[in-house]
Amino acid sequence: MAGSRLQKIGSVFSRTRNLLRIGVIEKPLWFDVYAAFPPLREPVYRVPRPRYGKVKDVIPPIFYQEDQVRARFYRIYGSGPRPFDLSQLNYKSTCQRFVEKFNELKEEGNIEEEKLFEETGKALLADGIILQRRGTDRVTQEDHQDVGSRDSAIHLQLRTLLEEMQEGKKDQKEQTPERAETQKEDPLPS
Amino acid sequence: DIWGPALSHVLAGIARPLLQSGGRSGERFLLSKPLSHPDFFNLKELFSLKDLFNARVHLGHKKGCRHRFMEPYIFGCRLDQDIIDLDQTMEHLQLALNFTAHIAYRKGIILFISRKRQFCHLIESTARECGEYAHTRYWQGGLLTNAHIQLGSGVRLPDLIIFLSTLSNIFEPHVAIQDAAKMNIPTVGVVDTNCNPCLITYPIPGNDDSPTAMELYCKLFKMTIIRAKEKRRQREIFDELRRKAEGK
Repeated sequence: MAGSRLQKIGSVFSRTRNLLRIGVIEKPLWFDVYAAFPPLREPVYRVPRPRYGKVKDVIPPIFYQEDQVRARFYRIYGSGPRPFDLSQLNYKSTCQRFVEKFNELKEEGNIEEEKLFEETGKALLADGIILQRRGTDRVTQEDHQDVGSRDSAIHLQLRTLLEEMQEGKKDQKEQTPERAETQKEDPLPS
Repeated sequence: DIWGPALSHVLAGIARPLLQSGGRSGERFLLSKPLSHPDFFNLKELFSLKDLFNARVHLGHKKGCRHRFMEPYIFGCRLDQDIIDLDQTMEHLQLALNFTAHIAYRKGIILFISRKRQFCHLIESTARECGEYAHTRYWQGGLLTNAHIQLGSGVRLPDLIIFLSTLSNIFEPHVAIQDAAKMNIPTVGVVDTNCNPCLITYPIPGNDDSPTAMELYCKLFKMTIIRAKEKRRQREIFDELRRKAEGK
């Protein structure tokens, strides 16, 4: 019985069709079914070569508008008071309730943008969910300022140290000629 | 038996008689009529997008594990985890189940393969319940390509191979994928985001690591195969009665 073991050339269907046309093989069971319902992509072998140079990521990242609220929530309150129960399909976490309350208050439109976050916290407190603050309020410029001030503090310390060292050297230079004068008879260092 | 309970004794011993339908019209009734119908076995009622979502079929691996050829099937990347496009999965699943059903209707041999130890028992029991075969143990080199020597002469090879996980234990493509392509056997396979879907005839992009997803796949394949076999039995009985009536 003939066959074609070249899996890298063409697909299973094309090879079988060609062998049938020559007449060296009898029609297999699946041939008619494949011909009637072909797959979306013909299963031809492709060489899995790695990409060279700068790799462009073609898959888009998935982000929602609520993610900004979620990020702020997690930064301030850490992970919520209640653990996630993933065994239930329609489980609503503390963060999700916070986001929904936030959107409700935003749609009502009575409260201004900056106060909205705290108002949502208070509304959830009224509902009975206690949130414990674990981090500082989210403004990324604050972080930069902290880093800058820390750097400048270090710079200040280094500068004072350098000045002290320089003063020390000057003192030493002033001292060593005096010592040289006084210790002329004793050239060995003490 | 060193290579697992199912494969060797099954393929060697039990030969399924290939179809014997009397006359041309009988053949047309039995075989070609089902092919003209787009969904002969009504398989689209077995699953919905909500079912796939609840079974966590859309969850892929992390961005670094992504295979280049899986990019068309991925919807997006949420915090570095790939999410598979369930619309495409629905189409692919429909095609794959339809193909499986037609093969089972024509009395083809179906072989389930997976090298995930977690689901080995589930897959073997699924195969036993459908009346088909499974191989979830170590794959010896020449099982398909050297079958006539390793399993005895006169062995009938499977007509369809279903991969419930295309990777082997060392996260490389299973040897049976290229072996099936060599022996001109069509394959249906669940491909995750780190798998190569090139050589698989009917790939199904989806999660192959969660227990819920695997149970869903096993349930779907079992139901399609049982449905197809039932339909075949009914049609054969109908054909018998019709021929008896015509004969009289």
